[in-house]
Parts: sequence; structure tokens; C-alpha cells
Amino acid sequence: MKNSKRVSSLLALSFITALILAAGPPAGDVGPTYAIRNCRIIPVVGPEVEKGTVVIRDGLIESLGPADKVKVPDDAEVVEAEGLVAYPGFISALSNLFLEQPARPEGQAAPTEVPIQAQPAAAEDRFPPGPGLFVLDQLKPKKAAVEGFHKAGFTTVLVAPIRGVFQGQSVLLNLNGEAFQPMVLRNGAALHINFTTERGSYPSSLMGTIAHIRQSFIDAEYYAARQTRYAKGPAGLKRPEYDPRLEALVPFVRDRKPVVFQCNNLEDIKRALKIIAEFKLNALLAGANEAWRGADVLKKTPIPLLVSLDFRPPAASMYVTQGEELRKKAEAEIYPANAAALAKEGIAFAFVSAANADGASVLRGVRTAIKAGLPKDEALRALTIRPARYLGLEQALGSLEPGKIANIILVKGQIFDDNAQVTKAFVDGVLFRYAEVSK
Amino acid sequence: MKKPLLSCLLGFVLLAAAALPASADGGDILIKNGTILTVTKGVIVKGDVLVMGGLIKQIGENISAPAGVRVVDATGRFVLPGIIDSHTHIALAGTNEGSEAITPEADVGTVINADDTSILTALSGGVTMVHTMHGSANPIGGPNVVLKTKWGRPSEELVVKEALPTLKFALGENVKQSGRTVQPGQIQRYPATRMGANAIIRREFLKAKNYMEQWDRYNKAAAAKNPPKNLVPPRQDLRMEVLAEVLRGNMVARCHSYQATETLEFMELAKELGFKIACFEHIWEGYKIADELAAAGIGISVFADSWAYKMEAAEGIAYNAGYCAKRGVLVSINSDSGERIRRLFNDAAKTMKYGGLSEEEALNLITINPAIQLGVDRIVGSLEVGKQGDIAIFNEHPMSAYTRCDMTIIEGDVYFDREAALKDREEAAKKAAAPRDKGGVS
Amino acid sequence: MTKRALLIALLVIILAPFASAQAKTPGLIAITNARIIPVVGGEIPKGTIIIKDGVIAAIGADVAVPPGAEVFDATGLRAYPGMIDGYSSLGLVEVSGVAATVDSRETGRVNPQARALEAVRYDSMHIPIARSNGITAAVVAPSGGLISGVSCLLRLDGWTNRAMAVKAAAAMHIELPGLRGARGGFGGMGRGGAQVRADGPTLLAELKELFNAARAYEKRRDAAAKNRLLALPEYNQTYECLLPLLKGEMPAMISVHSERDIRAAIAFVRDEKLKAVFYGVEQGFKAADEISKAGIPVVLGSLYDLPPVWEDGYDALFRNPGLLAKAGVKIAFSSSSASAAKDLPYHAAKAAAFGLDKTEALKAVTINTAEIFGVERTLGSLEKGKAANIVLADNDILELRTNIKRVYIDGREADLSNRYTELLEKFKRR
Repeated sequence: MKNSKRVSSLLALSFITALILAAGPPAGDVGPTYAIRNCRIIPVVGPEVEKGTVVIRDGLIESLGPADKVKVPDDAEVVEAEGLVAYPGFISALSNLFLEQPARPEGQAAPTEVPIQAQPAAAEDRFPPGPGLFVLDQLKPKKAAVEGFHKAGFTTVLVAPIRGVFQGQSVLLNLNGEAFQPMVLRNGAALHINFTTERGSYPSSLMGTIAHIRQSFIDAEYYAARQTRYAKGPAGLKRPEYDPRLEALVPFVRDRKPVVFQCNNLEDIKRALKIIAEFKLNALLAGANEAWRGADVLKKTPIPLLVSLDFRPPAASMYVTQGEELRKKAEAEIYPANAAALAKEGIAFAFVSAANADGASVLRGVRTAIKAGLPKDEALRALTIRPARYLGLEQALGSLEPGKIANIILVKGQIFDDNAQVTKAFVDGVLFRYAEVSK
Repeated sequence: MKKPLLSCLLGFVLLAAAALPASADGGDILIKNGTILTVTKGVIVKGDVLVMGGLIKQIGENISAPAGVRVVDATGRFVLPGIIDSHTHIALAGTNEGSEAITPEADVGTVINADDTSILTALSGGVTMVHTMHGSANPIGGPNVVLKTKWGRPSEELVVKEALPTLKFALGENVKQSGRTVQPGQIQRYPATRMGANAIIRREFLKAKNYMEQWDRYNKAAAAKNPPKNLVPPRQDLRMEVLAEVLRGNMVARCHSYQATETLEFMELAKELGFKIACFEHIWEGYKIADELAAAGIGISVFADSWAYKMEAAEGIAYNAGYCAKRGVLVSINSDSGERIRRLFNDAAKTMKYGGLSEEEALNLITINPAIQLGVDRIVGSLEVGKQGDIAIFNEHPMSAYTRCDMTIIEGDVYFDREAALKDREEAAKKAAAPRDKGGVS
Repeated sequence: MTKRALLIALLVIILAPFASAQAKTPGLIAITNARIIPVVGGEIPKGTIIIKDGVIAAIGADVAVPPGAEVFDATGLRAYPGMIDGYSSLGLVEVSGVAATVDSRETGRVNPQARALEAVRYDSMHIPIARSNGITAAVVAPSGGLISGVSCLLRLDGWTNRAMAVKAAAAMHIELPGLRGARGGFGGMGRGGAQVRADGPTLLAELKELFNAARAYEKRRDAAAKNRLLALPEYNQTYECLLPLLKGEMPAMISVHSERDIRAAIAFVRDEKLKAVFYGVEQGFKAADEISKAGIPVVLGSLYDLPPVWEDGYDALFRNPGLLAKAGVKIAFSSSSASAAKDLPYHAAKAAAFGLDKTEALKAVTINTAEIFGVERTLGSLEKGKAANIVLADNDILELRTNIKRVYIDGREADLSNRYTELLEKFKRR
């Protein structure tokens, strides 16, 4: 935990500054005011309220508490929520929403190394992967995906690029509409690195990839050192050549901007930890489906874990190579128990939707993890305050508290129950209503 | 004990080759009444081996078990040092960084895959240690790693740190890419001839010398009282760093070669550039240059008789291993395969027929000889007091065609136990026949 | 020495062999003092074998050496019948990685017209190596596709391909899909695909249709031959070449691997009334009783392979032969190779290490193979009247260390030199 605070402190600081600036007299459009009444409030941080009111003003939570203590403002539109439960909107700290990507056939094990020919077609080469790629530039609106995610409780997603070893930089979005610009919480949120291979060129193997990652960080440090020195006093020094690729890497080796390593199995986690230590990176580990197997290591080096809700074991896993029977068991029982095992060991993590663009099945994944032994409150934290903290946004997101962004879901039933339904979602104070489906 | 979930999972996983995840710091075991083939200290017809804390404590007759130590009855069976495979590619996530010809930065030690079931396969054939290597796609591949086949243990515990650091080189058809069709839009990779292969290795080492010189000059200048103001360090290059280690003698070459000429020329290259060759791999034409190999003190790691799969293997005679051994070359038999690895003892026995080696000499090819080649003969490769308790138990003499590995032990811990595996299989079959219950993970 | 004396000496030297040959009857050989393991019939601790005109004329403990016989004293040696490889690519594959030297796999899927005998390179470097390890006959099979072609059974000695043929057409080869994609060879990676990929029953249904079409073709052809008013069907090589199989004149050798496909193939053989041999049969132990009941013999594939289905256990391929034999299935081993054909006996020994009876193991490289291919009247054991294919070994013939000292094929002493020995001798002279 200590580490994760450290991880995000710098970013948190900059965001608080932004909040303070935003707290001044509102300029331009002012959003509507809502009062959600008579709902059960599960704020994640702070005590539960059995029957209460939440007031939303101009995109932020103004106040919340028991019905008799919170006054409904005169200008508020009242949202009657009798029988509903209010939760902070869920955050997926890693997704590929709004990106075109090849689907993995159902029931097929996740590849450890993406085969060269399986990578997307060359048509996408106007966005060549690399540390300087900003994924925001290649997003395509998908209304259905937003709805699906709302219905699964998600109001915030980090969208990461999907190709290459140095995949590029992600964008953090509040799912508040259809246009991307108003959604952006932060562009260039993190650098994403995947233990995969490049298409038909170096590196074509995992060991080459690891060498390539290390050499790149070495080069970025060397580049930064030379640039800094040159800036201080260029006289008598040869001007170091500008290199856009290394330039893009500098904030990550020099200023501890966050780096997300996509880990496909336990060994990848260990590989990432070595690189993180070597270059003193501010890092998060994504994938982490086999994190329980490395509990010993992870307890020693607490690094934010982003646990995927895709329980298909990776292709090289010993649960796949020892026959179909074991693979099925792994998918149905062993991998879903990962989160429960981590919780039991006291290892903190956040759940992420990862490559899954179907909100409903993401939520089903959470329910499966709970059935495999994960306490519900752990699951809830793993979807709210913890990812907020990992992303340096715990002052703004992740719980229902006055002053935070009004990302709230209203649920008929308990969200982790099989037949629970999200009927309303507020994102940045914008209300989305979803018809109840009778079952 | 410390990982209840893990051990339970493994319990299920290992139904086919039962072994329990062992201790991190070595186990205790007493093997009784077997024929002990010590390899370096002769044969004890009816003897015992005691391993304590992972090391061989005592070899002899009538050793009694200290309290709590597991006793294995080896009556009528053969007890030998764990088999060592001098050349494999198992337990790795990826084998070749083939996109470029020179890739010494691509280190197989960074991609160990302790989940590879080939480890179980190896154990079922009595193999306790492997030299797992970069592939042969490049004139200069990457560093290799020596592993113990400790299935179920974390990958870092598999690594044998005492082993000689080795770098993979390759010559001939693979690096020429003669078997590869160049597709439209692609260009033929350099080198495409044996001339080019030699030239590119020479070039890279000369570059590495230059790199070392640059650092040397920089370090000297930086250490001076008044370093020049515009002094800039050279770029750190992982590729060159590895070659520098070879030139400094901290790393030795293991070179894939088939033909006599390319092998002799690589020896010339090593002399010219000043690096050390530990071993030639496969070297099917070794028998043609046995005297040169013996004189240079360079070992060879070869197949017994898997030949004629490509042109440069068409003169690969089954006498190669035995003949070279008789001429004084340090020979080991390797598998290079996740399947052949479980019958290395059969392959070693073939040198008795082809080459006229004795039982003892044949057994050396898969025990002490590879241990010497890997620089680990002080700790493994034979049954001697003080060495690590890596042991295989066979039902018949390991050089018989009718033999079978019954148990494989590493540092006193049992990693393969045929009897237990059969019992587990029986129980699994019974379970499968019974109506299914819904049991959870643990 | 005078010129005359020299001439006489020279004449003596030149004529000496003729002189002795004149005393001997050509083709009459006596192997004496051998420990005889005839495979059929009991072991003879010390006996004699008489070869006459390429055939075993007498065998036993108390057989007298006929006058004029060339005597080979086999004291300390064991006499075995020559071994038979149940499935190989000897003579079809020289250097497997060089396509120009590979003739085992025709293009396309249905090739009943392809005959192995017509492509066999009789001076393949692999044949003398196999022969010098005691293998005196081998089935040489084409591979690939659904119907690969027709195999032949060769004696491993002769100056032309035709001269080597024991059976020009041994079996029609049909291949059902294997149990796995990637093999655990180099690197040991990429395994794990335990699923049955392609569909055996679908392929059998396709064969059924093909066979029906061939039968219909034959009917029209024969009817047209009898009645000139009927239209003669256009010549169809595929159908023509399938007819011997459909009439039971030639067995089908079906490569079949999974339990499901084995069961399907048993039904197929029964329904189509074929004479059949199964090949491969990795999951045979799971349907051993059914195979036994159907009376279909099995030629096992190479045991140098990993179990294709993990759940079958690490030793599945090794114990499979023993379990099949126990269920009463007639089994034979194969090298399934050209360059490793010499290893035939070691497959048998490996199975013996995992439960197969040792005598049964020996039968499965000799008499069983002969019976499966219908050549048991001449091959597969040391019995009076059979071809004199005799191997003299200094130890158990299935053992790795055993040296083969002498091999007779049809009564002729075979040349035991080969590529290995030639190259070795050449470089020994260095």
C-alpha cells in the first residue's frame, strides 16, 4: 500500500491542483443539479447509509448522507431512488474499449506470445506502436460499449493501446457521452509495455523483447542525460541528436510517470519486476492472472496489480499443457480463485476489464471471482477506490464523498448479485437512464 | 506448507508424474541396497547412498537412516547420478531471436518457463540438469542457462549459478538460412554462406574490442585529475557488453557446427580473436577432426545417431561419439529435444555398439562428461560424498535397452516417482469411474 | 625364387578359392554351435542350421553337417530370424530435409495409384545400416493425404528394387488424422494441443462414398465388358487402383490414433468387409478389447514420441504395446523411419521395459510382422522350409550393445559394410 501511494503521489498532487483551480466560480456552462433520494448509499469510503440522499451539482458530489440530514436544494431535479443502491462508479484501470482488435475465439487459451501473423493488418500502420503513440488519436465511438459498461457499473476506463512491445500511452476517460474530448480525465496517463514481439522485425522473441526494453530505457536515460547536460551548457559539446522515440520515453525514466507492464503469466511478472527495479520505474502490473502463484514475491515488492477478469489460462501455462481436463478446471476454478488468494495474502489489486469490451461479461467475471471466495467488499474496493488510487485520482474518484466527481451508479439489488441491474448512472453528473429488464 | 493453495493445485497437476514440490534448501533421503554406479568411484554391488540437506553425506554399505529420513529400497535396482543434458531448449518461452544475425543480448536466462511440461518429461528419464540454450538461427545467438529440473519450484530456484556462463554460436545451414524460402518483398538475411558467417562473427568481435577500448579511454579520462570538460561517456550497448564478457574470458563459446571445415575455422577464429570454446554442438563430422578437437581440449555435445535430416548431417555416422571419445575428446550425448531427453541413456548405450565404449564410458557421456562441459563437475555428475544429491534409480542397468527410470531425485528431494505416479493414475481412474462430485479448488 | 616357382605359387594363390569351392556345394551352408532362438518353437541351446538353396533345410540340436557344406562355427553367438520392420520409409527418404531426396508423399489426398515399390531407391544408404543391425525385411510405405498409396514388403538385399520385393503390393495406406498438431521435437515447446483436430469419422464417411463409387464403376465396367451395347465407363485410375483393396486382395493399412477413431475404424472395416491392419494406434490401449475382438492386427508407430494426450500418462506409448498384446491383439513394431530404421529392435525393448513380455517383444519384430503381411510361410522364424534369413548376434538381439556378426538373407551372406563403417574406416586411416 505504501508503495502504491508513492506510485501515485506525484500525479495526485497535480490533480489536486487542477481541482482547486476548478473549484473557483464556474465559467461557461453549468451542469444540472440532482438530488438522489431514498437510496441505500455504499460510499466505499465512510459509513454506509441505509436510506439517504446524494446531491450532485455541476458534475460534482455536493453532499450526501441520511435523508433527514441532507437538504434537497431548491434547484435540484429529484431522482427518486427508493429500493436502489448507490455505489461509486466502477473504474477499469485497463481496457481496450473504443479500439478495433481481433477477437480471441471462445475457449481458446490466451497466447503467451502474440504470433506474428495474428497481429492486426498493416492498414493500421498510420498509428505505428511506440512510446510516442497516444491512443486517444485512434479511438472510435461505440455507444453500445458505453451503455454496456454503464450497465456493468463502470463509469471510468483507462484505454490502452494494444499493439507492439512499447504500445504507447493510454488515456483515462469518464464515460460521460459520445464525444471523446469531454471524456478525457488525463491523456498520456501511462506508458504501456507488453511482453510480446514485433511484426517480422526485431525483437521476434521474448528474450529479444526483454533486451529491447532494457536497451530502450538505457538509451532514454543516456539521451536525457546528454540533453540535460547540453541544455545547461552547450559550449564545447556536440549537440545530441533529437530522437522522438527516446524523447517520449524520458518522462517515464526521469519523472516517474507510470508504466504499465502487461504480464501474461507468473514469469512475466518476475520479468517486469526486474526491469522495474533496474530502472526504478513507477509501475503497475497488468494481466496478473497468475499473481497468486507469485504471492511470496509480490508481498516483498508491493506493486499495484491490475487483475484481469478473463480467466482463460495463458497458452504456456502448466494448466494448459497438461491436458484439456485440467485446462477446463483452471478456467472454471483455479484462475477465478486468483483474486481471493491475493486478498487472503493481503496483496492489494484492482480489477480491470482488459481486452473484454462486453460489460456484462466483465461483471460476470467479478461475480465468478466472488463465488471463488473473494469477499464482496474486497471486490468493491478493487473496482473503485483502489484503481482511483493507482491512477493518482483518489481525491476525485473511487468513492462517494463530497467534492468528488459525480460518478455514481444506482442499482436495483446488490451489484454483485446475479440479477442486479444498473438502472441509472451519473457520469460527471450527467444522468443516463437504463430501462429495467424483467427477468 | 507455506503455500496451501499452490501445493493443492500441484497435487492435481502431478497426477501423471507424481512428485511433491520439494523443499527450497534440499532434502534428506537414504537409498538402500542398490547397485551404486558412482561413475567416478566405481561400482558398489550392494550399497546405500545417504543424502542430507541436499548433499551426499555417505556412500557405502549398511548405512542406517537418521530419524525421520525417508528410505527408498533399491534392491535389484541401479542407482546412478542424475543424468545431465548438455544441449536442450526446454523450459523456455521462445528459442531463437532470429530477426537478426547477431543477438548476444537475447539471454535465454530471462525467459525461463518453469511451467514447461518438458521438465516432467526430462525427470521421467532420470534427467536432473539441463543446459538450455539459445537456438541456432544466428551466428551469434544469446547466453544460455543451466537449470535443474525442479518441477513445481519457482523458476529462479531452477538456475544453477555455479555453471560456466556460455554464449551460443552457430554455423552452417541454419545460419545461412538455406532451408528458408525468401518471400517476395523480403531480402535474404546476411550471412548466406559459411564465408559470411565467419566474417560477421569476426566483425562483431572487432566491434566489441573497439567498444571496450572506448570505455577504457573514457574511464581513464574520467578518472584523471582534470577530466576534459566535453567528456561524454560512450553509449552502453547490451549487445557489445556480452561480447566483451566473452573476450574477457568470463563467458565461453558453445558453437553449433556440423561440418569439419566450419568447425576448424571457428577454432581459428577463436585463436585470432582471443576467446574460448567450451564445446561444439552436434558436430556430425567430429570424427573427421577428432585429433584437432582433442589437441585443443574442446568438448563435443552430440546426438547418438539422429542423422541425415539435412545435407550437413548426411555424413553423421553413429560412430561419431564413441570414436571421438576413444580419441580423447570430451564427449557428451545431448537430446536437443523435449522428447529424446527422456531416453538419453538409450542413446548413450548406442556408443557401446558404435564405437566400442564400455558400460562405464558410455554412462560418462550423460553424467560426468556433460558436468565437466558445464563447469559443474565439482557439484554434480557423479555420486561422491559432498556432491549434490541428484540421483536417478533405474530398474535395470541404465545401458540396457530394457531399462526404465523409476525415480529421480534432486538435492535429496524426490521429483519423479514412478510407483507413486502409477498409484495416482489408478486413483484418478477410479475417481473418473465414480460419479462426479463438484469439489472446489482446495 | 625362380620364375617358375613364383608362377606356381601365384597359381596356387589364385586357384585356392576355386579349389575349396569345388569341394563345397554352392548354396549349402551349415551354421554350427549356435544358440538358436527360432521364435516359433523352443530355444535350442546349441544347434545347427543347414541352409540349402536359400532355404532352411534343417534346424536342430542334432543336425548333421552334410558333406560339401560351408561351415560357420557360431560358438558364442545366437541365431535369430531376421527382423521385419512393420512400417518404414526405407528407400523413399534419403535426407529428410532435402526435398529432392524425398519420395514418400505424393501431392493430393487420394493416391491409391502410388506404388512405393516403383520409387524405392534400392541402394539407399539407410538400407545397409538397417541390415547390419539384423533387419532383413521391411514394409516400405508411402504417407500423407487420405489414401497415401500402396506399400511394398522388401527383403533388404538385392541389386534392383524388383529383386528386393517379397511383396510388391503389401497394403493400401489410409491415414486418419493424428492426435496432435505440433510435436514435441526441437525445443520441446508448442505442445499442449491435446484435442483431436480433424475428424476421423468424417473422413471414414468420405472413404465410404469413394469406395461405393469405385464399386459402381467396377459394376458398369464389368457389365460393359460382357455386353457391348452398354457404354464403357471412362477409365478411372483411382477406382481401378482401389478395386484390389475392395475385393480383399490387399489389406488396408489404416493409420489411426485416437480411441474414438479406432472405434470408428473398426466399424468401418467391418462394414466395408476389408482386410485391415491398423498403424500407429497410440490410444489402442483404450480400445484393446475391441481391436482384439475385431481381429485386426496392429503395427505400432515409433515409440520415440511423447504421449499425444497428456491424460494418458507419460508412459502411454511405452505401455500401449504390452496392454494390446495382453488383450490378445497381434502387434508388430515399426521404425516408422528411414534414417532410424536400424532402431526397430529398441522400440520392442522399450515396450518390454514397460510391461510387454520379452518373448512377445521378439515376436513383434519377427513372426507377428510376417503373419500380418501374409509372408509367414517364408519369413519371421527359423523353421525348416523358410527362407534362410538368419542373424547371428553376440547378445540379445533387442539389446543396444549387441553386435550383429553375420546376416544371411535368402541364404546369402549379406554385406554388413555401410555408410557408417565406410566413413569411419576412411577417417581412421587419417
